[in-house]
Amino acid sequence: MKTRSWILIFAVLLAVCSVLTAILFARRPSGTVANIYRDGVCVYSVDLSAVEEPFEFTLTDERGSNTVRVERGRIRVTDADCPDRVCVSAGWVGENGSAPVVCLPHRLVIRVEKSAKADGGIDAVAR
Amino acid sequence: MKVGSRLSAVVLAALLLLSSCRTAGPQTAAIFAMDTVMDFTVYGGAQTLADAEARVRELETLFSVTSEESELSALNRSGGGTVSAETAALIPAALALCERTGGALDITVYPVVRAWGFTAGEHRVPSGEELAALSAAVDYRGVSVKGNAVTLAQGAEIDLGGVAKGYTADRLTEQLRAAGVESALLNLGGNVQAIGKKPNGDDWRVAIRDPQSESNVAVLAVSNRAVVTSGGYERFFERDGVTYHHIIDPATGCPAKSGLLSVTVVAESGLLADALSTALYVMGLDRAAEHWRAYRDFEAVFVDENGTIFLTEGLQSRFTPVSRGAAVEVIRL
Repeated sequence: MKTRSWILIFAVLLAVCSVLTAILFARRPSGTVANIYRDGVCVYSVDLSAVEEPFEFTLTDERGSNTVRVERGRIRVTDADCPDRVCVSAGWVGENGSAPVVCLPHRLVIRVEKSAKADGGIDAVAR
Repeated sequence: MKVGSRLSAVVLAALLLLSSCRTAGPQTAAIFAMDTVMDFTVYGGAQTLADAEARVRELETLFSVTSEESELSALNRSGGGTVSAETAALIPAALALCERTGGALDITVYPVVRAWGFTAGEHRVPSGEELAALSAAVDYRGVSVKGNAVTLAQGAEIDLGGVAKGYTADRLTEQLRAAGVESALLNLGGNVQAIGKKPNGDDWRVAIRDPQSESNVAVLAVSNRAVVTSGGYERFFERDGVTYHHIIDPATGCPAKSGLLSVTVVAESGLLADALSTALYVMGLDRAAEHWRAYRDFEAVFVDENGTIFLTEGLQSRFTPVSRGAAVEVIRL
């Protein structure tokens, strides 16, 4: 094989790699997104910046249920049948960098996340 | 070189390129452990993160007070016994902090905390007599450690919940550094441990939660520091219009009423930051400020009931309030 073909193959692979990277980055949503995790696995995502009408839904599994309310730019747990209801008293979370809402008994976590962290973004919240 | 081997060399190079795209970013994990959610961000290999998670699991099985099978539960049931090297290292360190804070932190307050229902989430208000009876056994000086043998005074039980996450953060920091990690952020359910700086050389930006709203009061820029907040605003319950929070004053057996809503401690040691955040909350602003002047091995941010923020002077250059209207006062030597 000649050097030229060698370079060609390498160039093609390089192009494929860059295209893949571009696709991976482009797929990330741009607004403020609330991701709901159960046992560490994201089970539900809401684009908070695209919410027109407020809505509620209930997440239930064998451990119990949590009722979640979504409004433009913010999200909270409004009701839950866990004993301590820490998730309900956590209140609204909205801006990127707020502490997550956690329901330990139900292994539920709601995080507000942004794909591209703006300058001055927060890395963690001590609470 | 044959065509085949050349081709495979090209593919190999491309794969290397692809994988380097991946490892440039941090490894992250969210772990449910020690009654909280931990978020780890580690700039290093995947194995270091897996090892960190394994270490958390290992320490959790030793220190958990709510798990019947833990070493600590066994100790509380029997009133004494031989414990693992890890527990035998933590208990004396915790006792030294109880002593240092004059009992504002007391690892034997557990029976009182349980009477309020903060361990199982079934909240209740214990009667005065019940609290008096339980408080009689609350005294960290009744715990003695000789080598790996621990003895508790009659009726005493210990809870390492106020120090276990800080201790764990310190052990993880050691372990990650030994594995060559120079940059990581460990958030053990709000106990934040910053290892090194961010890969771009900036300090880590750690926000302090506003105890009166869902936003943050301030941001601290830190590196190689633990940042731990204690406040009564996350775990509490209401009965007959009265709010009871989970930080129990060992002296009274009741939720601490010190005029503070939250205390954030910044220190090199996660254990010190964890223990002091609780103890300074119980002490109140004036005693806490005196403690800072006496030791100077930590810095702190206090939010009082009026929403005023007090910070020790060593934090001035690292502190940015989120709201411009907030009243901020500096505690000086």
